[in-house]
Amino acid sequence: MFFFPVPDPALPHQKIRGRLMTLAAFFVACLAAALTLAPAVRYHSFEVELRWMHWVGMVVWLASFMLIYRRVVRVLPDSDPYLLPAAALLSGWGLMTIWRLSSDYGARQTVWLVVCTAVIVVGLRFPRLLDFLQRYKYLWLTTGLLLTLLTFAVGVYPGGVGPDLWLNLGGFFLQPSEPLKLLLIIYLAAYLAQVIPLSFNFMQLALPTLALAGISLALLVGQRDLGTASIFMLVYAGVLYTSLGRKIIPVFSLLVLIGAAAAGYMLFDVVRLRVESWLNPWPDPTGRSYQVIQSLISIAAGGVVGSGPGLGSPGLVPVAQSDFIYTAIAEESGLLGSTGLAALIGLFSLRGLVVAVRASSHYQRYLAAGLSILIGVQSLLIIGGNVRLLPLTGVTLPFVSYGGSSLVVSFSALLLLLLISDRGGEDPVPLARPQPYWLLGGLLLVGLGAAIFMSSWWASWRSLDLTARYDNARRSINDRYVQRGSLLDRNGVVLNGTAGEAGGYSRFTAYPPLSPVLGYTHPVYGQAALEVTFDPYLRGTAGYPMQEIWWQQLIASQPPPGQDVRLTLSLSLQQVVDQAFAGHTGAAVLMNAETGEVLAMASHPNFDANKLDEIWDQVTHDPSAPLVNRAVLGYYPTTGGCLSPFETANAITPGAGETVPDGSLIHRLGFDLNLTGFTGPSPVATPTPLPGKVTSAPVYAPLVSPLQMAQAAASFSAGGLRPEPRLALSINVERKGWVTLPAASDPVAVFSPRQVNDITAILAVPETTLWEKTCRADDQTTWYIGGTLATWRGSPFVVVLLLEEDNPELAASAGRSILQAALNP
Amino acid sequence: MSEIIVLVLRVMVALALYGFLGWAFYTIWQDLKTQSEVVQGHTYPALIIRREGDAEGKSRRYVQPEITIGRDPSCDLPIPNTTISAHHARLAYHHRQWWVEDQQSTNGTFLNQERVLTPTVIVSGDELRCGQVTLTVTFDASASS
Repeated sequence: MFFFPVPDPALPHQKIRGRLMTLAAFFVACLAAALTLAPAVRYHSFEVELRWMHWVGMVVWLASFMLIYRRVVRVLPDSDPYLLPAAALLSGWGLMTIWRLSSDYGARQTVWLVVCTAVIVVGLRFPRLLDFLQRYKYLWLTTGLLLTLLTFAVGVYPGGVGPDLWLNLGGFFLQPSEPLKLLLIIYLAAYLAQVIPLSFNFMQLALPTLALAGISLALLVGQRDLGTASIFMLVYAGVLYTSLGRKIIPVFSLLVLIGAAAAGYMLFDVVRLRVESWLNPWPDPTGRSYQVIQSLISIAAGGVVGSGPGLGSPGLVPVAQSDFIYTAIAEESGLLGSTGLAALIGLFSLRGLVVAVRASSHYQRYLAAGLSILIGVQSLLIIGGNVRLLPLTGVTLPFVSYGGSSLVVSFSALLLLLLISDRGGEDPVPLARPQPYWLLGGLLLVGLGAAIFMSSWWASWRSLDLTARYDNARRSINDRYVQRGSLLDRNGVVLNGTAGEAGGYSRFTAYPPLSPVLGYTHPVYGQAALEVTFDPYLRGTAGYPMQEIWWQQLIASQPPPGQDVRLTLSLSLQQVVDQAFAGHTGAAVLMNAETGEVLAMASHPNFDANKLDEIWDQVTHDPSAPLVNRAVLGYYPTTGGCLSPFETANAITPGAGETVPDGSLIHRLGFDLNLTGFTGPSPVATPTPLPGKVTSAPVYAPLVSPLQMAQAAASFSAGGLRPEPRLALSINVERKGWVTLPAASDPVAVFSPRQVNDITAILAVPETTLWEKTCRADDQTTWYIGGTLATWRGSPFVVVLLLEEDNPELAASAGRSILQAALNP
Repeated sequence: MSEIIVLVLRVMVALALYGFLGWAFYTIWQDLKTQSEVVQGHTYPALIIRREGDAEGKSRRYVQPEITIGRDPSCDLPIPNTTISAHHARLAYHHRQWWVEDQQSTNGTFLNQERVLTPTVIVSGDELRCGQVTLTVTFDASASS
C-alpha cells in the first residue's frame, strides 16, 4: 500500500504490520468521513454546514504514523508487528472522538500527537536508550517524585475548579503523576534486574522498592489522586510478581488493596462517595451519581450498533473527552464498537506480555511486563468505572482519552516495548517461572470480558428503561431535529404545534388558555397533560410499522416524523367557554352527552405554555395553581344538596317494565373512583349545624371533579346512560390517512328513562329545551349543571361549570350562555 | 441520501475494525501453529545402543533426551561390570545434537578411542568405550518420538 509500504513482503511480520496499519488508516478515514456527513443526517438535508475541522486531526494522525511506521520498519524491522498498529488505531479513534466532542480539545490533542510522534522518532534515534534509562534509574525516580511534590506547592487544575494535579508550563499543562508511573516502572525493572541474580532473600529484595513505592503512593494519596494511586499499587504488585514469581505477592497485594480500599472509605470523602455511587447510584441521579448514571444512559442509548459517529449525544456525560471516552465511543459505535475497543486494548497488553517473555535481558523483561500491566490495568480501571463494574476512578484510557501527559506516557510505553521487542537476533533470556505472565494475561482478558459483559447488559437488557428515564436529555434533543406532530381541534385548527426548522424546532401553543388541558413539551421542564398522553404518536414512536421505526433509529438515531392528533375540542366553543367566566377562578366542561366527546374544557386561572421559560418560577409557586387542569384534577365538595338531582332521580319509581340499574348510586355515577381508578373511602361531609336546629345526620357528599360531574349529568341528557369521556378523535397515520380512535368503553346505565324524564321535567328551564341546576356547595364552591332535554332534536349537550367562589348568579348566566352557544353554533 | 452514505461508512468502519482484529488474531494463531511445528521439528533421534558381543537383537532403543550409563541399577543403561563406575557417563540431546559427557568415572570414557574430557558431540555409528565395555551408538531418526 502507498501509505504503509512493506519493504519485504516475504517476511510475515512485516506484512502483518503493513496490512494492519493500512486497515487502521482505513478505519480512521471512514470514521472521519462519517463524522463529516453526520450533520446532513441529523438535518435530513445537505443544505447544512458539514463538519470538516477534524480532518486536520486525520491528516496529522496519518502523517505521524506514516513517519513512525517508516522509522520503525527501518530501525526496528523485527519489532512486534501488532503493537504499533494497535496503538495507531486506538489513538486515531480517540482523536476523532475528541474532535467530535469538542474541536478545541481536538486541536490540543492533535498538537500532543505531534509531540508524541517526536518522542518516538527521537527515541528511535538512540539505540542505547534502554541502557541509558537503566543506568540512571534513581535520577528518573527522583525527578518524578520531585515533580509530583511540586504539585503540592504550585499545582493547578486546567479546567477551573478541581484537584490540583497539574503543573502549568507556560500554557501547557503537565500531570506529573503520569510520567511518575512510567519512571517507577523503569526504576523497578532496573533495580530488580540488578539485585535478583545476587539472590538476596525476598524481604531484602522487596524492601527498598517497597519504601520508594510507598513514598510515591503517599504523594498521590496526599494529592487525592486515588485512581493513579490504585494503578500504582497494582502495577507495583504486578512487576514484583512477574519478576519474583512468588504466589504470595498477588495474594498479599489483594489483601493490601482491600485494606487500602477500606481505609480510604473511612478516611476520604471522595472514596466513600465513589464507592457508594458505585454500589447504588440510583437514589441520587442528579448529585453524586450524576456522572455514573449519565454514563450508563449514554451506553444504553448506543445499544448494539450505536447511534453512528456524530449522531449521538455523548457530550451529555461530564468530561466525556477524558474519563468517559469509552462511554462516548460506546454510544456512537454501540456494543459492536466498544467490544472492538476492549479487544484492541487486550491485544496490545497481551502482545506486550509476549514481548516481555521473549525479551533478551531480565531488565527488559521486567520493563516490558510493567508497561503492559500499566496499559492493561489502567484501561480496565476506567472502562470498569464507566460501565459500573468498578468504582469510578478518574484515570484516562491509554492512547484514546484526551490528555497530553497521558498520551505521551502511552506513546513512551509503545516506544520502549518496540525497542525491547526487536532483540536483534539475540535469544530470549531463560525464563524460570512463566506462570505469572500467562496468569496476568488471562486475568486481564477476564477483566475486559467482564467489562464488556456489563456494557452489553446496559446496552441491551437495560437499554429501554434507561433511555426512558426523565434525566435522559436525548429525547428533547431529538425534538429539535424531528418535527413533532400537532394537536388539532375537531375542525383541523392547530392548537399545539411545532415551529421552526430542523435543528431548531420548538413547540408553541396557538391558544394559550388551553395550556393546562393540552400541556407542554419543553426541553427543560419536560412534558405535561395531553402532550404526555399522545406522546408516542406525536413523537412518531407509535403508529408506524415496527421496521420503519427501527430503520429510522438505525440510520439517523431519530424516530420518524411525528403524527398529528385530532382532538374532540372545538376552538370556537372553547373561546365561548373561556369568555363566559373570564377573570374568575374555576373550571368548565362542555360535553356531547351521547358520545362523551369533550367539546370544550376550561380551567381558570391558566398559564401561557409559550412563556414557560419566563414564568416557570412564578407559576410553580403561585398559590392559585395555574398549572393544574381544574376540570380533571380539581376535586370539589358536593355538600349543600348539590347531588340532590341525582338522589331525587334515584328515588323516582321506574316506569313499567323498567329496571333500575344495579349498584349504589354513587358507584353508577362514577363518583367513587378517583382519576387513577382506585376506589378510595368516600369523604363524608357533615353540614354545619345552624343555630337552634338539630344537627342533621351526615350526608354522603363525595369530592367530585367537573369532568366527573359532566359525565354524571350527561345521563340526564342521554336517556340515563353515562358516557366515557373522550378527548381524541383520530390520528393522521403516515400512508393510511386519518385513523379513528375507538371509544374507551361503553356507556354505563345510571337511571331508567322514566327517572330521567321525571327529573328533567322538574329541572327544565321554561320555554327552552334545557334543564339546569345551580347550587352552592360551600362559600367557596358554586356548581352549575345543565344540559339539553330529550325534546332537543340535535346532538345532546351537557355543561358543568364550577366557580371557586360564592356566585350562583354568574354560574347560572355563564352556564346558560355556553349551552346556547353549543346549540346555536 | 446522506443517511445511506453514512450507514455504508459505518459498515466500513465496523469491517475495518473487525478486519483489523480478525487479521491480527488470525496471524497470531498462525504464528502459534508455526511455532508449535518448529518445536515439534526439534525432536531428537532415538538412540540404539548395542553392547559389543551381544547378539544383533539384544540392542536397546532409547527415546528419552538423556541416558545415564553406569553400574548402578538406577541408570538407564545399567552395566554390571567392575571396570565401570556407578555413574559412569551421560548421553544428552541439546543444541540439536547428541552429546556424551564423562561423569568423572574412574576408568574414563572413550569415544572412538579418544578420552572424553569435555562434553563431545556424537554421530551415528560412533563407538563408545566405558571401562572395558564397548558400546556402539546408532541414531534411529526414522522412528523419532
